[in-house]
Amino acid sequence: MEYWCLSVDDRGDLLPVEGAPLDLLARVRSIATDMRTFRPLTADMIQKSGLFSDRSEYIRRLREVTTLQAREEIRDAVSGKDAELLQMVRMLDQMDEVINLLSERLVEWYQVTNPAFSQKGKQGSVKRILPKILRSRSPPLRGMAKEMEGLMEARTALAAEVSRLAGRVIPNTSELVGGLVAARIMARAGGLEKLARMPGSSVQVIGAEAALFSHIRQGSPSPKHGIIFQHRRVHNAPREVRGRVARVLAAKLAIGARIDFFRGEPDPEFLASAQAMIDSMVGGSL
Amino acid sequence: MIRVDGQIVSPGAGGVYNERMVQGYRVWDPYRSKLSALCMLDDSIDLSGTMRVLYLGAANGTTVSHVADYVEVVYAVEFAPRPLRDLLVVAEKRKNIVPIAGDATRPDRYAPYLEEVDLLYQDVAQPDQAGILLKHLPFLTTGGQVILMLKTRSVDIRRTPEEVFAETIERLTEGGLIVQKTFWLEPYHHDHAAIVCTLT
Repeated sequence: MEYWCLSVDDRGDLLPVEGAPLDLLARVRSIATDMRTFRPLTADMIQKSGLFSDRSEYIRRLREVTTLQAREEIRDAVSGKDAELLQMVRMLDQMDEVINLLSERLVEWYQVTNPAFSQKGKQGSVKRILPKILRSRSPPLRGMAKEMEGLMEARTALAAEVSRLAGRVIPNTSELVGGLVAARIMARAGGLEKLARMPGSSVQVIGAEAALFSHIRQGSPSPKHGIIFQHRRVHNAPREVRGRVARVLAAKLAIGARIDFFRGEPDPEFLASAQAMIDSMVGGSL
Repeated sequence: MIRVDGQIVSPGAGGVYNERMVQGYRVWDPYRSKLSALCMLDDSIDLSGTMRVLYLGAANGTTVSHVADYVEVVYAVEFAPRPLRDLLVVAEKRKNIVPIAGDATRPDRYAPYLEEVDLLYQDVAQPDQAGILLKHLPFLTTGGQVILMLKTRSVDIRRTPEEVFAETIERLTEGGLIVQKTFWLEPYHHDHAAIVCTLT
């Protein structure tokens, strides 16, 4: 039986193991424990090993090893290439929220300063109203509009950057649905490794969790697509085949994510066959 | 358990998570910590200075820090890197916490670090909570105690908490545990049950 600081051989003899925390950690990682026969360390074994002067020294030395391991795992978790992309996507989505919120307020404010202005027929296009607001008579409103303009520029720049980085970090999934949508799916899955380990059916409904759980709980119709809907081949597909397109595309994305995670390079052969299959479906021939 | 004005408290240096202090003790909020909630519902739950505890699902170490105030040593297992970072900060101040980065569904990976423990405490958001608990019984000393905080919603949201609860009790009994007491942690936590067991 092997333990972090000692081992017990078949005859029951105790063999202490000495070493720096790093060596002990490497040793623990190499141990294959069989839980069916495992017996934990006892105070008696620890004392007999003669390695530790007292209980507090034992805990102190053990903590050195486990803390080292914990730090390594934290480091590994954040050092992945996908970690920064994930943060960028979340920032982008939050900027969208903030921009929507602030632009609504800006328009309301502008209406007050300019009673002749009506939003009728101009719904949802802050971009078109913004130049007007920038020429408003109210200096504080102009100032805010200026900030808003800057925010929208920053958003556009960030979106381009997400697309570019996604093309490098997740080349296959980006090729299939575009960098922005691919990055969003990856972020929602919680990282590239998580996405790579996900079945296609989960990829299909990522981002439609509310609909999915209402389906599971109350038996309402199952969602056909989540974030994947944002891709043109899904939302441009005729209604009757949209679910099918989403399903096939998601299945190919799941494969693409695995290639991205394990190989990290574009696979032209896979991409060509996947694109052909999806396109044939949109044509309605499948 | 130490109580001040009907509140559960723990001895130890404060300032772990902005907890309130009363008479020099750290207030252990039952709305934040399921173990504190259990203590509010059951007077007989106790932690002593000689106890060794295996804590599965340590999260960011809030409850762990209170447990560490009472017992000899806490082996705190957490899987997710984010809360693990906070747990390490808590463990810096409390030298009797052994932070372990590990997946509770795979005890074989960290078994070499563990010794026999008197209390096995589990609070994990996983589907197979009974299975995880049973996998850790080899670490429990004879006559040791088990406290399972069952998150029924994590097991299966399609079934009612009561169904999940009944099935869990059955599995624990089949696994060789004697279920002593059970509580629903209302009003402190919803759809959470506490199951107190001993090993045969």
